[in-house]
Amino acid sequence: MIRTENLHKTFNDNPVLRGVDLEIEDGETFAIIGRSGSGKSVLMKHLIGLIKPSEGRVLIDGVDINTLPYRELRRVRQQFGVLFQGSALFDSMSAFENVAFPLKTFTEKSEKEIEEEVNRCLTMVELPEVGPLMPSELSGGMKKRVGLARAISLRPQYIFYDEPNTGLDPETSNTIDDLISDLAERLKVTSIIVTHDMHSVLSIADRAGFIHKGKLHWVGTVDEMHRSDNNILLDFVKANEYQIGRPKR
Amino acid sequence: MPVGPAGMLNPVRALGRYSLLMFQAFGSLHELSIYRKNLFDQMVKIGIESIPIVALTAAFSGAVTTVQTAYQLTSPLYPKSLIGSIVAPSMILELGAVVTAFILTGRVGARIAAELGTMRVTEQIDALEAMGLNSVGYLIIPRVLAGVIMFPVLYISAVLVGIGGGIIVADLGGWLEAAEFIDGAREFFNPFDPVFGCIKSLVFGFVITSISCFKGYYTRGGAEGVGRSTTESAVTSCVFILLADLLLAVTLL
Amino acid sequence: MKASNELKVGIAIILSAVAFILGVRFFEDIPLFKGTYDLYTVYDDARGMIVGNAVRISGVDVGSVQEVSLDPETNKVKVRIRLDKQYIVKEGAYTEITGIDALNAVQMVIHQGPPDNPPVNDGDFLPNRIANDLFTSLTESAPGLISRSDSVLVGLDGTITDIGELVQPGSDLRRMFSSFRSSADAIEQLLSEERVRIGRVLANVDTLTTALGETTQGAGDSLAIATQQLNELLRRVDENLAALENTTNTLDSILGKIDQGEGTVGLLINDPALYHQMDSTLENMNALFLDIKENPVRYMRALRLFDIL
Repeated sequence: MIRTENLHKTFNDNPVLRGVDLEIEDGETFAIIGRSGSGKSVLMKHLIGLIKPSEGRVLIDGVDINTLPYRELRRVRQQFGVLFQGSALFDSMSAFENVAFPLKTFTEKSEKEIEEEVNRCLTMVELPEVGPLMPSELSGGMKKRVGLARAISLRPQYIFYDEPNTGLDPETSNTIDDLISDLAERLKVTSIIVTHDMHSVLSIADRAGFIHKGKLHWVGTVDEMHRSDNNILLDFVKANEYQIGRPKR
Repeated sequence: MPVGPAGMLNPVRALGRYSLLMFQAFGSLHELSIYRKNLFDQMVKIGIESIPIVALTAAFSGAVTTVQTAYQLTSPLYPKSLIGSIVAPSMILELGAVVTAFILTGRVGARIAAELGTMRVTEQIDALEAMGLNSVGYLIIPRVLAGVIMFPVLYISAVLVGIGGGIIVADLGGWLEAAEFIDGAREFFNPFDPVFGCIKSLVFGFVITSISCFKGYYTRGGAEGVGRSTTESAVTSCVFILLADLLLAVTLL
Repeated sequence: MKASNELKVGIAIILSAVAFILGVRFFEDIPLFKGTYDLYTVYDDARGMIVGNAVRISGVDVGSVQEVSLDPETNKVKVRIRLDKQYIVKEGAYTEITGIDALNAVQMVIHQGPPDNPPVNDGDFLPNRIANDLFTSLTESAPGLISRSDSVLVGLDGTITDIGELVQPGSDLRRMFSSFRSSADAIEQLLSEERVRIGRVLANVDTLTTALGETTQGAGDSLAIATQQLNELLRRVDENLAALENTTNTLDSILGKIDQGEGTVGLLINDPALYHQMDSTLENMNALFLDIKENPVRYMRALRLFDIL
């Protein structure tokens, strides 16, 4: 379970988060939504411990990760899988090596076991053939999927997705959405998705939290979202649907 | 970044951040086994792959120093072997280490800064951290260690090639015989000189790699930020090489 | 990939380490693969010797200076040299610093010991001799020279005084006189010959010091001291020679008095034993003068320094 208490973050006198209290249950798929610059990516980095809050706490399974020694924090992070916005594949390594990297670094597995594990992950993201390719030879969607394969290689309990659909065509975007919900189901993981794409939120998330001006403006299930009378939220949802202008699945 | 009077503290702040970064990096030395493969990768990239350019530069600086020394020593009062006595110690004490350092500021320092800068702006550093890796140790230790270990190697090859270049040019150009050159070089040879040169190159190796790691690691702002980091790392490295050069000469000679 | 990187790095490091060691040995002028051995010697004055200076035997480079260290307690300089094993130094060898200090071009020369002596071992001490530095030789020899000629002349003076005392009684004066006369002549002759010789030597020294003054202006101080001491020496030689002349004159006058039958000559004639004693003394003295005449070098050994010139 992930919980934040009164999370504040100020960058150079510029407040980005102004007291976020959030709870994400184990096993659910939680979407963090909001406009660009609302602080949702910053919130996610707080959850992983990449950014230290100016005030407040981040509790992972009841442990405040910001009071942990660095070494302990790193152990906690090994339960995380993160898919970054630009997929953040290591340029100097092939797709296979990217996925194998966490396994080689953190497990005592033999070369053969690692190879099996990597192939399993690549198959799970439906790219079993790209192992030998370098990231520069992959398309944006393929990069995301390889990044996802890398994120799940250590069989994490939490998977974080930072804007998984950004920069992808609708079709690829749908594939990624399918993958996310598929993985959530098969691996029984807690998924945290940071996105502004209402379409994927509606199709894969159980619950969503709306970040507005550095605060958690609204939180609830996807069904409740439509019934909400929160104007700011509704504006955001509608604007999003119109702009994307693609049919609901 | 604050400007005005408070901005004057920026260099001090940078020094502090640099020191903390190095402290953090060397604090993770115990995990060297994880960085082992990287270390050797970097040793090849920083060290072995730099040998050709270092050798080329050294050969030319040795040759040019020889020709210019010969040009200046026109008086028949001086023995011609004096050219060797001047060129060899110049290479050993100064040129071998400093020319190598400047070349590698461009070749190695810029590369490190651009590489780490790109990793920063494409979130690869975050990805390393999120996996539970110590990104500072993982990225900086192999590069700095490779610099410290391989720069003396490059220095030695630079000195050998540089003196060799000097001898060849002196001989072919008809200024003096190779044997005279070597005689002159031996006349004033002090075995501490090459040791001093090695120490110097080791320090330069640290200066270049650590500064470029620092600049790269704290890159901000996309492609432009990467470019800025690369430039800054080259400029800062050059300044600190000169400072370190002076400091070492004053303290060790 | 991994192994090959490690291999490349390993090879590069080993190669450069080997290059470093061989390079240092090469420029230190130590044979790259042959063995070496160290010897040491101690000087009062290293005369600007530095690490790396050549060590020579009969003009051949046989090694180099490894270490020059000043003992703070004794202020003596210990110099360690490293020689190529192929050059063997025999016991009895000694070292010397030669070259021109002012030009910073000094070197160590080893003068071999006798060929039949056993070779010295690694780490042995070689004695040294101060080099034939002109100024040093002059200043060091001068006092010796002075005391030597002093003692010769004082001795002579004493003898002649004794003679003067002995000349009271006498018999067979003719023989005695002729002996005296020839002795006096011998002295006279010796003096005149040595005068010429000394004059020539002085002229030489004069030219030399002028030449030195011109060539080594930097060493002006020591030259001045040397010249001053030399002058003093020569003045004293002159004085002593004058004294000698004086003595001979006295002798002459005594003899003249005896010739005229004055004084206590009768006593001398009445005492044959005394006469014989005096006779033998005079003969000894005669032999001494003859010896001085034939082997002036033995008595003027101190003047040997001028022979070098």
